Amino acid sequence: MSTIVKVDRLTKSYKDIDAVKDVSFTLEENKIYGMLGRNGAGKTTIMHLLTAQIFPTGGDIQVFGEAPYENDRVLSRICFIKESQKYPTTFAVRDVLEVAAGLFPKWDREFAYSLVEDFRLPLKRKMTKLSRGMLSAVGIIVGLASRAPLTIFDEPYLGLDAVARSLFYDRLLEDYAEHPRTIVLSTHLIDEVSRMLEHVILIDGGKLLLDEEAEQLQGRAYTVVGSSSKVESFAAGKRVLARESMGGLTTVTVMGGAGSDDRKQALTLGLEMAPVTLQQLVVHLTGGKPEHKEAKAQ
Amino acid sequence: MTTNRMQGVIRLHMKDKMNWLVTPWIVVLCSFAVNLVISQFMEADLYTGGVASLYIYMLVIGIVTLTHTFPFAIGFNVRRKDYFWGTLVAAGGASLYSAVILTLLSYVEYDLTDGWGSGLNFFHLPYLSDGSLFVQLVVSFLLILNLFYTGFFITGIFKRFGRAGLFTFAIALLILGTVFSFIMTQQEWWVNVIDWFNAHTMFEFTLWTLPVTVVFMLLSYAMLRRATA
Repeated sequence: MSTIVKVDRLTKSYKDIDAVKDVSFTLEENKIYGMLGRNGAGKTTIMHLLTAQIFPTGGDIQVFGEAPYENDRVLSRICFIKESQKYPTTFAVRDVLEVAAGLFPKWDREFAYSLVEDFRLPLKRKMTKLSRGMLSAVGIIVGLASRAPLTIFDEPYLGLDAVARSLFYDRLLEDYAEHPRTIVLSTHLIDEVSRMLEHVILIDGGKLLLDEEAEQLQGRAYTVVGSSSKVESFAAGKRVLARESMGGLTTVTVMGGAGSDDRKQALTLGLEMAPVTLQQLVVHLTGGKPEHKEAKAQ
Repeated sequence: MTTNRMQGVIRLHMKDKMNWLVTPWIVVLCSFAVNLVISQFMEADLYTGGVASLYIYMLVIGIVTLTHTFPFAIGFNVRRKDYFWGTLVAAGGASLYSAVILTLLSYVEYDLTDGWGSGLNFFHLPYLSDGSLFVQLVVSFLLILNLFYTGFFITGIFKRFGRAGLFTFAIALLILGTVFSFIMTQQEWWVNVIDWFNAHTMFEFTLWTLPVTVVFMLLSYAMLRRATA
């Protein structure tokens, strides 16, 4: 697989704050990435930097082997769908699709209009008259039908109901299977997308916290449930990310892979072990106070 | 691929035919209709500057276009360069379109109907419309384009330097204007300005707006290159 994005020590500072600090990562061709993190973590800033819509303070960005700024060879191969995308006030849905057809070289018109039907979008309605969910649907349609070799979805489904969201996942996977490309998905609904993600990049406080294959992440932490005293004796000496007690039961989330010794110990103590979900892991890693975060990430 | 995306920007603008081509003429024709009615009741010929509404409208379009379409285009990964050139073609086309109609109406008014049969001078005005039809066409075209890029330049300052930048620019312009007119009055140079206009045709004056327009274009381009949607 070839690398299509190479970000090296990327920094974006505003007057009083570093929105992105020393972030380095690479993206490979034809994979689905999840860029995760809390609100204000710096994900959207990174995506804007990748597409040269804002300018970095430091560091280097290479997309398809070249700098993206004012570079049509790079920019015409990226489609970046963001929640805050602005549309001309006079535009109807149809206008947006027709303009997109002229801007994205691999645009599939038929696919776009079939998606319009799937999402039940009124083609003639003005963008300003659309509901929040419909506005999101327009972005999703543009993102899918563009078939851009690098497609970025930043919080693409604000206001979309569960049916429309699963429609999005289905169409995305179907089309991805037929037309492989690199997809970056940024979302808060981690549980919903976790089965699609092949690789996870976790950003917190402008810094890179995790950059790992989704499979490996599964083994990064586990939970143990049982009676409080037994759980506590099991957890002694281990790195505990979170602890929850209810009645006599305690659940702890332990960082690190569960070794065979750990399994035996849990078994003898009569404790239940389960892998932690991606969402839980992200919540644990990014949920603490700012000082704690870095320590946890080690 | 490059020209392709510039064409995409032209197409983007042409989706908005209403703003570029229709609305300005609704405004002008309304003004024309009112003046035509008034002229029926007047014994003397009526000279009116109603056609100025078209020029002012193009200034407004210049101001509005950038806020309307730039964030959209940049969001869809259009190069700032392609946005600029695509917009130039669209603005040039719209300016030519209106200039052609202005010239035709001037011809109908002055040469064919003698003031629409009621002594109305709306599209053909003394001094401003002097010269052949071709000269009139060039004059209208260059003036419209100049006003468009004046507006475009103003919004460009806002896009690049934000509210504070535009504010600073406005204050600087105000101060310079005041100082300038003070000196002009002090030195009694206004007479020279009037003399200059008398000695030159409208066509010659309009040609002088061309370098100004080009400077506005270049500065707008330089600002867009560093603007963030």
